[in-house]
Amino acid sequence: MEYQEEARERRITQLRKGILELAVMGVLYTERHYGYSLIRVLAERGSLTLKEGTIYPILARLDREGLVRSEWVESDQGPPRKYYVLTLSGRKLFDELSREFDSLVSLVEKDGGLERTEPVGRKLTVRRG
Amino acid sequence: MSNYPDVAGKIVRDYMERVESHLGLVPGPEREEFLREVDSHLYEAYQRMPGEDDVARILAVLRNFGEPAEAVSDRLPKAMMNSGMKRNLPLHIVAGILIALFGIPLGFGGVAVLAGILMSLAGMVVAYFTATASLLMAGMFFFLLALVRMYQPDLWDRLISLGVIQMDKEVALIVEEMTPAGQGFLLILFACVFIGAGLGMLWLGKHLMRGLRFLLVLAFDRLGKLARNTRRKLRASGWGPMRPWRAHSHAENAFR
Repeated sequence: MEYQEEARERRITQLRKGILELAVMGVLYTERHYGYSLIRVLAERGSLTLKEGTIYPILARLDREGLVRSEWVESDQGPPRKYYVLTLSGRKLFDELSREFDSLVSLVEKDGGLERTEPVGRKLTVRRG
Repeated sequence: MSNYPDVAGKIVRDYMERVESHLGLVPGPEREEFLREVDSHLYEAYQRMPGEDDVARILAVLRNFGEPAEAVSDRLPKAMMNSGMKRNLPLHIVAGILIALFGIPLGFGGVAVLAGILMSLAGMVVAYFTATASLLMAGMFFFLLALVRMYQPDLWDRLISLGVIQMDKEVALIVEEMTPAGQGFLLILFACVFIGAGLGMLWLGKHLMRGLRFLLVLAFDRLGKLARNTRRKLRASGWGPMRPWRAHSHAENAFR
């Protein structure tokens, strides 16, 4: 019983981590954010129970692949902040991934018999505007 | 490093050192930038964390941020690849071949020399205690002969006639001049000399063993220190595995 609970938690974490990259891209689609503000936005939009530090590997990967652009901006509230925004190629990729995500969600709905009025992926695409 | 109250600052410093220890293979500028970013995040999260207790606030911030390993996980594979590429690969291949050709045979030679030294030392110890045991046994034998000479003269004569006891002609002539009791005392004297020598060697053997044990402990201690220093230097130069956690840090304890 204890193991099942642990396995369930692990799967949920993996699922969230998988989706997190898409969610990050969705937030950075139109607005620039630094790590902390990005986490706050994600937390406001939905349940973010992942550790905050997990956002940085994602940002680093996106930056390395040229999907986001970053710049340091001085802050009057403390140390400088590193802002990120999605590049053009990042936006294109997000659009493709978002469509793919919608189709995956509908696949899960069919198989699992889940009833959703609005696919999660569509929520992401709606939010970018 | 941003401005924190004393204890909170110490906890953050420990945490940042742990993050930095994970970034040993990441190139300097990239490492500095990432550390600045984490520092900025922690400071802002700390400023916005509600509560009165500074320590509780910073620990909550670090708990929310997660383990350093999670935050740096995506940087290490690339850094490792870069690290390998930055070093001169052909030079390392040549070094590897040289080590295979000369280093390994020399290593075996070194092990053989070490084994030889250890075996010779063991042989010396065995020979020493064998000689000690021989002296003690010889002393006891002379003592037994003395008793035979004094209390069982018939048995003594029989042993001489059977050839069990033999003496040089000159020695026999001198011994013949002495009384049986005198011969017995002479044998007891020899017995005392041998037993005394044996006991003396046994006493010295105790010190010999202590000396050898000291030498061995010293030698292995020096070898251990040499190995630890080499490992530390290799780790510092980025060749060895990074030690993931610093011991006894406040931030580490916060996650236990």
